[in-house]
Order: sequence, then structure tokens, then C-alpha cells
Amino acid sequence: MRSLPSTTLLIAFGAALALAACAERASGPPGAETVTIAVIPKGTTHEFWKSIHAGADRAARELGVEIYWKGPQKEDDRAQQITVVEDFISRGVDGIVLAPLDDRALMRPVRDAVREGIPVVIIDSALQGGDFTSYVATDNYQGGVLAARRLGGLLGGQGRIFLIRYQEGSASTVQREAGFYDTVTAEFPAIELLVKDQYAGATTETAYQLAENLISRFPDVDGVFTPNESSTFGTLRALQESRLAGRVVFVGFDSSPKLVQGLRDGEIQGLVLQDPDKMGYLGVKTMVAHLRGEPVEKVIDTGVVLATRENMDTPEIKALLTPGPTAIDD
Amino acid sequence: MSRRRQAGVSRALNVFGPFIGLILVIALFALIPEVQGRFLRAANFKSVATQSVIVALGALGMTLVIISGGIDLSAASNIALASVITAYAINAGAAPLAAVVLGVLTGGLVGLANGGLVTRLRLVPFIVTMGMMGIARGAAKWIAGNQKIDAPMTWVNELMAKSPRPSWLLLAPGIWLVIIFAVALAVALRYTVFGRHIYAVGSNEATARLCGVRTDRVKVLVYAVSGLFCGLSGVMEFSRLTVGDPTVAVGLELDIIAAVVIGGGSLSGGEGSILGTLVGVLIMSFLRNGCTMMGWPNYIQEIIIGAIIIVAVALDRLRHRKD
Repeated sequence: MRSLPSTTLLIAFGAALALAACAERASGPPGAETVTIAVIPKGTTHEFWKSIHAGADRAARELGVEIYWKGPQKEDDRAQQITVVEDFISRGVDGIVLAPLDDRALMRPVRDAVREGIPVVIIDSALQGGDFTSYVATDNYQGGVLAARRLGGLLGGQGRIFLIRYQEGSASTVQREAGFYDTVTAEFPAIELLVKDQYAGATTETAYQLAENLISRFPDVDGVFTPNESSTFGTLRALQESRLAGRVVFVGFDSSPKLVQGLRDGEIQGLVLQDPDKMGYLGVKTMVAHLRGEPVEKVIDTGVVLATRENMDTPEIKALLTPGPTAIDD
Repeated sequence: MSRRRQAGVSRALNVFGPFIGLILVIALFALIPEVQGRFLRAANFKSVATQSVIVALGALGMTLVIISGGIDLSAASNIALASVITAYAINAGAAPLAAVVLGVLTGGLVGLANGGLVTRLRLVPFIVTMGMMGIARGAAKWIAGNQKIDAPMTWVNELMAKSPRPSWLLLAPGIWLVIIFAVALAVALRYTVFGRHIYAVGSNEATARLCGVRTDRVKVLVYAVSGLFCGLSGVMEFSRLTVGDPTVAVGLELDIIAAVVIGGGSLSGGEGSILGTLVGVLIMSFLRNGCTMMGWPNYIQEIIIGAIIIVAVALDRLRHRKD
């Protein structure tokens, strides 16, 4: 009689699995001939990836293809992203749209996919080698250039500024920093870079600490540039704490509700924005075009724009500043 | 029901419980028409086996630790450290074989430190290995200079290739290593004095000591062996990633422990088997693989794996109440 409860447990377990299966299958679209495309982001919980998802979904609806949206189980885990790519190769999808977590570690699974006849479109971050069909991403260098022109223009071409870097080895932010640095030195020679080799680190907290330390060392700073969301927010917090927010010209990168508020309050003078929705959209669209035998560009730029207090309420900028359901519907 | 019959049922459940889970998982995906053709292909099974190697190697060592009544929370950090050391050595121009040995030994050293601290300082393994989790992870990031290490491609990166060279190997060398070490460990656990001592220490340490088992030595050895397996697992992680990544495998120790527990290991010690552990590893790998193939969101597989762990431990408790 002891075996009874354990049998019950096993049955319950089986039922739970079956239930999960049914629940999902009911919502899955039928049709064996639909083109299926796996879209593999770096993570699934960040705002940025949700916008990419929205764009990919929109392209899928327009073009009549089915997409599987699946990131590594743990955000930013390279090994798990490789596993996801391999599983979709096994599954035999028609194409893979991938935002590689590592420009090198994902080379082998991408080559495996291509060898199995599954084309791969790379989005967001670069991949070494040339196995992929197309590379759809933001021109990050251009983003740095935009930020430098905004900052230099507002400062009237002179003053003392910080270039706060994000993290060593992060390709996209390194390009933004290079674009900023090159433009400042070339177009605004009178501007002095007080700091140009300090790294904010991965989190808001580390950025906050760095900015605090820099401000206490150079309290008379005139301008600041930061290359991503966490460094921008951390620096904004530090500027607010030291009552410098609004008195220092501050240009950052990316968007979040807090940064939008900072822009509205005049504490941030500019935010360079990528267009993740367009990136997801063009990623899927490029893949479908390739699958239908149309020629596609090897590199596709999804553009950057500068949001300021003046233009932040125009529909285009607003959609980029506050992504989410509103962005999916139009 | 007679007592003997009860014991029979219990033993059957012990041996076959994990298998039932594995068969259920495979059957589930094999029955879904959308993926069944693809899921049951040999290529997919090979792919799942390759994906399992890293957790499996860690879990082999963890099985010994758990049987001995301990726990090793530093396993995943140890894997990351070993993978970074291997990449670092290759990058610095060391012969690939030397780099591999260095990686494995690094893991062993961390394990040895765990064992030494647990026995010498009389600290709870949970605390010691939790501390070591941070130390090893920090050391990995330090050595790697807070970023990944790009090492040149060598034969080490072929250890986890899905299509092995030479092709008569059929499976990636890493899979063969798991099989060889699993058989060796299973034999050692069952037939050697050291193996029986591990069970004795885990069942009742005081009694084992009174019977003349040198419990401290057994424990140090167990942690050291577990560390060596983490080191080897780290080499495999490097082989798979082709870069040494200090942030890899965060939280993997929980997958490793879960595999042992699903496979019948008891966290109160004295119980567990190599075969069960490997089945536990495969259950989780097949679930991940199937869920991904179906395009199910990650939270579904997290919920399912969580439920399986609870069911497995519930079965474990049921068995214990009987004894």
C-alpha cells in the first residue's frame, strides 16, 4: 500500500506535463507548411529585448511566418545560448535570427546551422567569421557621433567633460565611446576630456559609485557622456545627489522611464536611442527575404536618433522612448 | 502487503524511479506530432548528450559528496575557474595538454581546500562551499581581467564537437569521458573499500568513525575528487565555448545538485547512485531540449523542472519513512 502515494505522485507529475503540453499546443498555430524562424535574443526580461520581440512579431504577422522566441534560460549565459541554437538546429527550423552573446563562442553553432542548411541572420551584436547571411544592427559609432555633437553644441565648443565608459570587451559600447571620442577631439578641440578611461561596470550601482567619485574629484565638470542605460542612470543618480543635475550638460544612451523623466525635467540634455523594434522587424524580414530567394544586404543599419526635451513628444521619438504595447500596435 | 514485498517495491522504486521520469519526459515529446520526427532523431540525442556533458561531469563528483552527507555549492564557480585557467594557459602559449591538466588540477585544488576546511575547521560543508563559491568565482574574474579570454583554437575545442574527429568515435570525446568515468566511479562505489566508506560516512558518521573508518580522510578525498571532476567539466565548458568565460555557469551548481537528487541521492547522506545521477542529468537535458524545440517560453521549463525536483524528493521522503 506504500506504493500507492508514489504512484499517485507519478501520475500527477505526468498529468502536469501533459497539461503544460496541451495548454501550449492549443495556442500554437497549425499548418505544417508555414515557414518557422527561431529568434534568439540575449535575454528575455529587459525592455530592449521585449521591443525586439515586438518588432519580430510584427514582421512575422505581416509576412505570414511563424517565429519561436527563445532566449537562454539565464540572461546573458553564453553556454545556454549555444544550447538553444543547437536545439533549434535539431528542430529543423527554416531560419535562425540570433543576437549573439559572444562574437566568438557562437561561431561554431552558427556554422553547424549553416552546414545543416539553416541560414542565420545576426542582429544587435557582431559575430566573427562570415557564416551568417546578414548583420542587422545599430550603427553604434554613429550614436557616439550624435551624442558628441549634441554635447559639444550645447557647451558652445568649450568646457571640461567626462567620457564615462561602460565595460571592457563590450563591443557595442566600445564603438559608441569611439564615435564620441573621435568626434569630440576632431570637431571640438577646445573641449577638455577630464576623464576618458574610467569604466562604469555592469550595473547601475557600480556606475553610480564611479560617477560619485569623479564628481567629488572634479566638482566643476561641465558635461558628461555615458554609453548605455545602466551607466546613464547611475550617473544621473550621482548628479542628482550632488545637486549638479540640470547644471551639467548630460548626454546619455538608451531609455527607461527614469531616464525619460530626467529628460523631461531638464536633467538630461539628450538620449541617443536605438531602434530595437526595427531591429527585430528587419531581422525577421531579412531572413524571410533570403528564404524566398531575394538578395539581401550583408550589413543593415537600423539607425540611431537623438531624443531631446524639445522632440520627446513627437510620435516617432515617443515610441522609441517608451517601448511596449503602444509600440506593438502601430 | 508483506514486509518483504514492501521492501521489493521500495527497491524497485529506488532503481526504476528515475528511469520512469526519463521515459515520461522522452515519451511526452515523442508524442507531440509537431516535433516527434525531429526529437527522436539520433542527431538530436547526440546533441542532448553533448549538452549534458558539463552538468554530468560535475554531477559525478557531486554524487560522491552527497552520498558522504556533504554538499558542494562551489561546483559551478569551480567549473568557471577551471575553464578560465585552461583558456589562460593556452593563450599564454602552454601546450594544450598542459593547459587541460592545469585546468583539472585547479578544480582538484579547490576541492581539496573545501575538504580541508570542512574537516580541519569542523565547519558545515554548506558554509565552506558557499564561501568557496564566491572565492572561486572572484578568482576566475580576476585571472580573466573581468572579461572573457579568447584563446586560439586547438584540439581541446574538439572535445565537445558534435561531429567528432576521428569520425569512428561517433560521439564527442566529452561524452566518452563521462561514460568511462561513470563506470569507473560506479565500480569504485560498489566494490572498493573507499567506496563503501563513503556510504558509511554518509549514513552515520559517528558509527563509521567508531568502526575505524578514517572519516576525515574519506571526506577530504571526496571533496578533492569532486573538485577534479569540476575541473574536467570546466575544461569541457572551455572546449564548448572556445573562450574562457568567468561568468559562465552561474547557478549551475543547483542543476548539478538537482540531477543527483532526482537520481535518488539523499541530501541527508548515505544514498545515491551514479546511474541515477546520470538519468537525472538526462531528464533535465531532454526537458530543456524538448521545450526549446517546441518554442515554449523558459518559464514553462523552469516550472516543470522545479516540480520534478519536488516530486523526486517527495519520493525520497516516502522511501525514508518506510525504513
